[in-house]
Amino acid sequence: MTTAAQAHEAHHDHHPTGIMRWLTTTNHKDIGTMYLVFALIMFMVGGAMALAVRAELFQPGMQLMRPEFFNQLIGVHALIMIFAALMPAATGFANWLIPLQIGAPDMALPRLNNWGFWLLPPAAILLTLPFILALFGIGDGAIATGWTFYAPLSVQEGIGVDFAIFAVHLLGISSVMGSINIIVTIFNMRAPGMTMMKLPLFAWGWLITAFLLIATIPVLAGAVTMLLTDRHFGTHFFNAAGGGDPILFQHLFWFFGHPEVYILLLPVWGFIPHILSAFSRKPTYGYKAQVYSFWAIGILSLVVWAHHVFTVGMPVPALLYFMYSTMSISLPLAVLFFCWIATMWRGAMSFETPMLFATGWIILFGIGGLTGLVLADVAADAQYHHSYFVVAHFHYTLFAGGMMGMMAGTYFWLPKMTGRMYSEKLGKLHFWLTAIAFNLTFMPQFFLGLAGMPRRIPDYALQFAEFNMISSIGAFILGLSQLIFVYNIVSCIRGQGEKAADKPWEGAEGLEWTLSSPPPYHSFTVQPVVK
Amino acid sequence: MVSESGATGKIDYSITARPNCSLTPSQKIGVFIAIALFPLVVATGFTLAGAWLVFPFAGLELLALGVAFYVVHRHSTDYESITIAGNDLAIERRFYNNISRVVFNRYWTYVVLKKMPGGEHKLWLRSRGKQVEFGRYMDNEARQALASQLKRRIGATHHHYGEIGE
Repeated sequence: MTTAAQAHEAHHDHHPTGIMRWLTTTNHKDIGTMYLVFALIMFMVGGAMALAVRAELFQPGMQLMRPEFFNQLIGVHALIMIFAALMPAATGFANWLIPLQIGAPDMALPRLNNWGFWLLPPAAILLTLPFILALFGIGDGAIATGWTFYAPLSVQEGIGVDFAIFAVHLLGISSVMGSINIIVTIFNMRAPGMTMMKLPLFAWGWLITAFLLIATIPVLAGAVTMLLTDRHFGTHFFNAAGGGDPILFQHLFWFFGHPEVYILLLPVWGFIPHILSAFSRKPTYGYKAQVYSFWAIGILSLVVWAHHVFTVGMPVPALLYFMYSTMSISLPLAVLFFCWIATMWRGAMSFETPMLFATGWIILFGIGGLTGLVLADVAADAQYHHSYFVVAHFHYTLFAGGMMGMMAGTYFWLPKMTGRMYSEKLGKLHFWLTAIAFNLTFMPQFFLGLAGMPRRIPDYALQFAEFNMISSIGAFILGLSQLIFVYNIVSCIRGQGEKAADKPWEGAEGLEWTLSSPPPYHSFTVQPVVK
Repeated sequence: MVSESGATGKIDYSITARPNCSLTPSQKIGVFIAIALFPLVVATGFTLAGAWLVFPFAGLELLALGVAFYVVHRHSTDYESITIAGNDLAIERRFYNNISRVVFNRYWTYVVLKKMPGGEHKLWLRSRGKQVEFGRYMDNEARQALASQLKRRIGATHHHYGEIGE
């Protein structure tokens, strides 16, 4: 009696080469690579939009663009960064790492995996195409409602909203396909001996992410479809004049939108412990506590959405409930912070680029978390709502907590994925420029918000000029420093740099490090047994 | 999983390989229900609040999840087997509902083991112009071991070990 790997599908046997390899591939590593490359491209596109916004805000007064175009850039920047950069990056890591980490030969449904990816490029085109159509006099540009699509503004706006609705549908379908695949893979294809409580934390983080996506994507899909029918088919779901309720849209949107924050963060919380443990040369502290905290945060994230709409008006008991429930998320999150720090405590730490990003991430994401507590307070939120304080808060959460986490993961697993070591010198330069420029960009925005500068405005009062100038300079340094990141990745993909060992990090633990760097086309032709 | 047995009764040798599944069928149903419950509650709540279009999307999504579990479940009964009895070597494969069976003359069957790019070995059984691949549920090591085992048990002495493309 021996143990064998689960079937490799017949279509894996002779994989095509060239462009057809990428169009038709069902290999989890190829699809993971496509997700990650797509995410990187869209990160640069979304980043360029942010730089255009910051260029406009460099000085008070209208400098470079019309207010309508400014609004479009803000909205599409957010949609791209959330749906086309962060989420695909997380799915890319899931595709690459989950089969390797649980000892499976591939994802459970490889064709579904391919379809899930190829929905993304059309969605990205739909999001950005209205900009180009407007140049030819078709429509009035992209969606200008911000990423939240709030009705009734979104009911009245131009064709950019329709494009965005269809883009969101495609992105949602892609996310659901990815989630279904991850759920089925993790539950059904674990190597013998890999019990649920032996799953790597990254797999746990993604499993809960997948549950959250399954729970919330239908709500978003329903909301934007109702918006579409309000716009074109005479319904009045969100039109008060027709008996509808515009506030209902806000509740629908944030029922999806708040868990979405954790959808973006849970995969990062999953892989940061791997990095901290590897470079502290200690086992992860509090594995079970972290798993239970993931669960607690996942569940709580589904019942706290209305803190995003405190100022729209709610009964006092509802305000109190949403305030306390939101604040309660800080408890399991504090457990996670404790575990991350305890993992490093008295470890033999070294600070290679992934560890620099991981430790920097803890501090910066911590600031994002603490300022979130401020916004969870109903009374404080009444003052800070819709101000730059909120913009600064969610960038500490999603750029530092999301993007910088993804960067840590990229540097950690890049040698495994490409078989080449990146330039450590450039990696460290990238970290320091990113960390300093990030704070230069977003720390002043806290002060701007506290001083009363509203978000989503292209012009502002003179009193806000200095902090805006500092923020814009920081943004350009931040944006340009990402070119170092791109260079480092491209160098590895092109085979430059030293050859990476199978286990390039001394303290790294996990099944993926037992494979060659890069891993063979089919992972685990010899199935591992976890003891 | 691979189960192998030597001579029993009229059968000289048999081997059966199946895909590895971590969940039993009842566990799959339990997981599906656990996942499906919350979206259904949410969709019902929003429907009562007037946003009934959430419900069809939740339904479609859960249908897709159910189909995914069903497809994986149907594949869990797939298998490949080789049975050597008397002069016959029978290869049986089940993929979904399709069961195919090929019977070769034991003494006129060749074992073909080829090394593919990437180091993986593939195994074929070939006789009188027909060939059948075997070992899709086996790992590389097990395929090589099976090739040696079959070499000892079947008649044709020409065993082909080579690189693909030769």
